[in-house]
Amino acid sequence: MAFDPSKSWDTYPDIEITLNVNGKNYKVKVKPYERLIDVLRYKLGFTGVKEGCGRGECGACVVLMDGELVPSCLVLAVRANGKKIITVEGLAPEGKLHAVQKAFLDTFAVQCGFCFPGFAIAIKHLLDKNPNPSEEEIKEALSGNLCRCGSYYRLIKAAKLASEYVRQGKIYFDVKR
Amino acid sequence: MSTIFIHRFDVVQPSSLEEALKILAEEGESVTPMAGGTDVMILIRDGVIKVKKILDLWPLRSQLSYIKREDGYVKIGALTTVTELEKSWLVNDKRYAGFRDVIIGFATPYLRSLATVGGNIGTGHPLSDIGVLLLTLDAEVVLLSADGERIVPLKEFYLGKRKINRKPNELITEVRFKEAPGNSSTAFIKFDRRRGHSMGYVLVAAYLALKGNVIEDVKIAFDSIGRPYPERAVKTESFLKGKEFSLENIRKAYNEVLPTEMSRISDYRASAEYRLDLSKVLMKRALLRAKERIESR
Amino acid sequence: MAQAQVPEYVRVVEELFSKYKEFIYVGKYIQRWDAVSKITGKALFTADFLKFYKDPVYVYTVRPKYAHAYIKSIDTTEAERYPGVIKVLTAKDIPGVNDVGYVIPDQPLLADKKVRYIADPIALIVAEDKYVAAEAAELVHVEYEPLPVITDPLEVVDLKTLKEKEHVRIHEERESDIISHFKIRKGDVEKAIKEADVVVENEYRTGMQEHAYLEPEAAIAIPEADGGVTIIASTQCPFDVRKAVARVLGVTQNKVRVIVPAIGGGFGGKEDVVNEIGAKAALAAYYTGRPAVVIHTREESMIGHSKRHPMVAWYRHAAKKDGTLLAVEANIVLDTGAYASLGPFVAWRAIVHSTGPYKVPNARVDTLAVYTNNVYAGAFRGFGNPQVTFAFELQMDALAEELGMDPVDLRLKNILREGDRTVHGQLLTKEHGVGLEETLKRAIEVIDWYRKRKEYSEFAEGTLRKGIGLALLWHGNSIGVEGADYSSATIIINRDGTVTFRTGLTDFGQGAVWGLVLIAAEILGVPPQLFRIEPPDTSSTPDAGPTVASRSTVMGGAATMNAAYKLRKRINELAANMLGCSPDEIVIRAPEKEDVKPSDVEVFCKSDPSKKVKWTDVVEQSFWDGVPLQEFGFFRAPKAEWDEETGQGAPYVTYTFGTMVAEVTVDIETGAVKVDRMVTAYDIGKVINRVGAELHAEGGAIQGLGYALMEEIVHDKNGVVRTYNLSNYYTPLIDDIPDEIIPIWVESGFKRGPFGAKGLGEPSIVAIAPAIVNAINHATKHRFTQIPLTPERIYLGLKRAGKIKL
Ligand SMILES: Cc1cc2nc3c(=O)[nH]c(=O)nc-3n(C[C@H](O)[C@H](O)[C@H](O)COP(=O)(O)OP(=O)(O)OC[C@H]3O[C@@H](n4cnc5c(N)ncnc54)[C@H](O)[C@@H]3O)c2cc1C
Ligand code: FES
Ligand code: FES
Repeated sequence: MAFDPSKSWDTYPDIEITLNVNGKNYKVKVKPYERLIDVLRYKLGFTGVKEGCGRGECGACVVLMDGELVPSCLVLAVRANGKKIITVEGLAPEGKLHAVQKAFLDTFAVQCGFCFPGFAIAIKHLLDKNPNPSEEEIKEALSGNLCRCGSYYRLIKAAKLASEYVRQGKIYFDVKR
Repeated sequence: MSTIFIHRFDVVQPSSLEEALKILAEEGESVTPMAGGTDVMILIRDGVIKVKKILDLWPLRSQLSYIKREDGYVKIGALTTVTELEKSWLVNDKRYAGFRDVIIGFATPYLRSLATVGGNIGTGHPLSDIGVLLLTLDAEVVLLSADGERIVPLKEFYLGKRKINRKPNELITEVRFKEAPGNSSTAFIKFDRRRGHSMGYVLVAAYLALKGNVIEDVKIAFDSIGRPYPERAVKTESFLKGKEFSLENIRKAYNEVLPTEMSRISDYRASAEYRLDLSKVLMKRALLRAKERIESR
Repeated sequence: MAQAQVPEYVRVVEELFSKYKEFIYVGKYIQRWDAVSKITGKALFTADFLKFYKDPVYVYTVRPKYAHAYIKSIDTTEAERYPGVIKVLTAKDIPGVNDVGYVIPDQPLLADKKVRYIADPIALIVAEDKYVAAEAAELVHVEYEPLPVITDPLEVVDLKTLKEKEHVRIHEERESDIISHFKIRKGDVEKAIKEADVVVENEYRTGMQEHAYLEPEAAIAIPEADGGVTIIASTQCPFDVRKAVARVLGVTQNKVRVIVPAIGGGFGGKEDVVNEIGAKAALAAYYTGRPAVVIHTREESMIGHSKRHPMVAWYRHAAKKDGTLLAVEANIVLDTGAYASLGPFVAWRAIVHSTGPYKVPNARVDTLAVYTNNVYAGAFRGFGNPQVTFAFELQMDALAEELGMDPVDLRLKNILREGDRTVHGQLLTKEHGVGLEETLKRAIEVIDWYRKRKEYSEFAEGTLRKGIGLALLWHGNSIGVEGADYSSATIIINRDGTVTFRTGLTDFGQGAVWGLVLIAAEILGVPPQLFRIEPPDTSSTPDAGPTVASRSTVMGGAATMNAAYKLRKRINELAANMLGCSPDEIVIRAPEKEDVKPSDVEVFCKSDPSKKVKWTDVVEQSFWDGVPLQEFGFFRAPKAEWDEETGQGAPYVTYTFGTMVAEVTVDIETGAVKVDRMVTAYDIGKVINRVGAELHAEGGAIQGLGYALMEEIVHDKNGVVRTYNLSNYYTPLIDDIPDEIIPIWVESGFKRGPFGAKGLGEPSIVAIAPAIVNAINHATKHRFTQIPLTPERIYLGLKRAGKIKL
């Protein structure tokens, strides 16, 4: 690679994009090569989006982009321009828990917790499409999310429970502690 | 592979197909088209390619994402994602049930919203589920450039290791195949160490048309027959064609004919011997599944 | 041990063990403290802190082209001139000692003379941007003199003679490439074998397993004004990181502060590697005066941190016709890769457990750990025990088959019970809690063993076969002779009645620290919701020893008990004064509700509950009376005994026991295995953190299933790691788990464990693989001896045996 010491390292253009994250609009300057995950985490502070692999192999970074489930580690930020993004932070209003999160508590599913933002979004995506999923459908929907601590049984149970909550119209819950 | 090779690059986002073709015509090899990017982003990371400029095809989705029947063809826009395939009528048509198999086993649910049909064959990689299935449907690839349209049969589209029959100024715009007859169906099987999220030791797709119990037509494709891209097992097919559909004939086909045309490689994932034997077993299972589907109507 | 010698802190634990029979918090389903923060995405993991630091520098590691080579020269000039690069650091820039070896000083932070594996760090690029850093890495020009690469430990040592072979030396600076050799010598093995009715002999191999914790390693270093540095790091052992970084920087330990935020999994893997990444970040901060970030990518993590030692072992078992074991003989070789890491300790734990939880009158075992040019191996849940358990439990099934006995009956004949002696001559008494037989009996009853064993023997449906198998385990608690086996905790009662809990033990998901809080809550009477666990911080939390070896609950729990006990005593005296009854009569109780407040907690006299005050009033009074409301608790295990020549002594304070049963379905035409059901029965003395225990039973089984069937780090002959990502390194996903895992808890009570508790963190993976493989062997009527037992290995094994015809 040729170099020119007089040149600044920051030679790539800044591109201004607008992201709607969790219902709020953000104008942000990004680089052409920048990934959505880095913009969400480091430029906008949504560190609930986790990076487990950066290669589309673990599901820790998934977000909803215009309602679709996407790995934010493989999406270029410029591509998200004008899109609506939902991250784990946007599942419920401040101080409340979403049915999916409540179900994680009720099933005592949490271990290290690094995978949970991804699972929460994946389950939310499933329930948006299908409020009454079978066990098979749940497993299929979560088949690409890795939980190395092995909370899978509880995550399946939690998805079922969350679907019950949602069908009963219970979407948000108060946080007790 | 001892490290990672992320590097910076520029991006251009065309506002129309025409603009995209113009950029390709002017800049040719120095731009890399990116559809879903699920392959491109990984190739960059692994240091397989260095890109200067990405041509982002995503803005063209309104034009190039579709699944339609037209002029006796099923036409699939190059930017159709696997998720869109999943939601389409295609998977409910028993003749094309092979797509259902492909989708269920394809990568992970969240990748399916990015991975495109055009990108799948665009990788030129043997482990391309959609490409393998499309081979059994005698699919054609539609390529477009500022110079016009070019149509290449999929089986002539693969040229070598990650090499495809695409000129630097061309875009893949569509894949299409003739509507299959009512007495036919398809099946696809991928087998690996685990069920979810796998590349597959062996990929096999089968197209079968039955007249009574006689094999009227059959096409069988694998991730590899010997060369590093998906291909059909034509000798095995012609052995089976016109014969009675029986386990005995299938066994003969895979024990006596398939090994004469297939040569498998050994690598860190599996040995050639296992891959060959697995090819036999999966071919049998795919044919049985296709038959079951034909008869289930 | 004579009564007079029992230290006070042990006496406290024993006293509380005999006193408490009923529990309010211990053993109950109680939500862990950080659950809400984790599911809302608010919990901060190391890399998340980056959003708070402006203007950090990024550190990228230059790694070699070869797995084994001399370094002739390193030229960094081009990289240094690359726009955006601030500095390129090599070994000569290290102000202190260029070493991050964990047990042996054999591992340079930055290699300058030689590289020994494919990820050996050579230089650090410190740049304005992570992309710039990676780009510049390619401009560091290193001249190598390549050496032959050794990836097979049997090229270093002969399995039969255990002699070191002629080979290109990996660590010339040491006497030998064998890093440790442990022995067990007991009775007369030759004679026993001659007199035996049956002898079985086999070779076993286990694969290199990767932790694949979901959060890759990360560290952020912030320079301090006095030349020191503060490091936020994803580590299991903050005090070890501090020590290592201080050595590398050449500063005193008080200038290095290590803070541990939420950790996304560890499983033993976030021990030594964090010394390396902590030091990398610290060096960059030291040279630039700016916050420095090291976040490993998944690929770097896969190739650049320690793994589970692969094992090759030769075993010979001898028994009488009736199944009585007469002798065990074994040669065990562990591949520790390029560096020792915790290898010597792993090898020691392996040999201690190598003959299984059985009465073995005669034994000769040798365990060696050797260097190769593979990625280095270190600590991983189980620590040497899963490897040997795989071997001896397959041996037990082989023996049962030779004898025509049921595998359960053979084990019942030989297992350790109260009053028996281990192979090391350690007498197991009631005080140890020996519940092995109960785990076995309950497990086989729940699964209906004898019926299924018979039924599955005859099962054949198309290409499907079914099988059921089991495996037993023992696992010595805490560190044994591996190191100073102490732990500590601090409890502080705040003026508003809430409690601050501090320990240097870390929680990487396993929930052990929560178990300590439950213990403290039980003793103090203050509900766990009123506790706050402070993140481990070398500047405030006490050094509690490393969070390894399933020792948190047992050692940390005992230390916590001591702190809580002393506090409770003072509070009782104060409350007794306030209420006018005797201190023994004081009860502290909280109402059962989720959002309990300090003022809800009541303090009253047992004989007259109307005599009561609020907990908050007692706390307030103690401030007026000068009764100190903070306490430090300490515990240290009695010194372990081990004779280097014979392996005789008392290596561990006690053992966790267990019986695992697996049911499988095998498709013999492809080799695919589905694990249908598992029973995991553990004797963990006493269940403290019930949620955590259940999660361990499930999570350990799933990780063990991966170990048994699919996980393996593969190097090619050049030492290049082929399985460097999560697509080609296969971890179990949701489709791979058994339909059910049935947990069984046996509470035998260990007199010197907190309320009788023993450890579970590691045991939960130890005997999963042999149970599954024994089931596969039952299903296929074949004797597979290698893991991971992939579909290919099964298929080709059956094909070679003529059992498959396509
Ligand atoms: C974790 C993971 C799992 C995967 N699992 C599977 C799997 O199960 N099965 C499978 O088959 N594949 C799998 N893949 C590979 C990949 O996702 C698929 O091949 C996918 O279909 C590629 O589509 P894409 O749109 O993302 O391609 P891109 O990455 O955008 O492009 C791939 C190639 O095609 C070219 N290209 C793309 N579109 C066009 C166009 N319209 N015109 C000209 N050139 C074009 C690009 O330049 C590039 O060379 C996986 C990948 C990952 C990262
Ligand atoms: S970080 Fe995106 S899928 Fe793993
Ligand atoms: S809880 Fe740790 S990865 Fe899922």
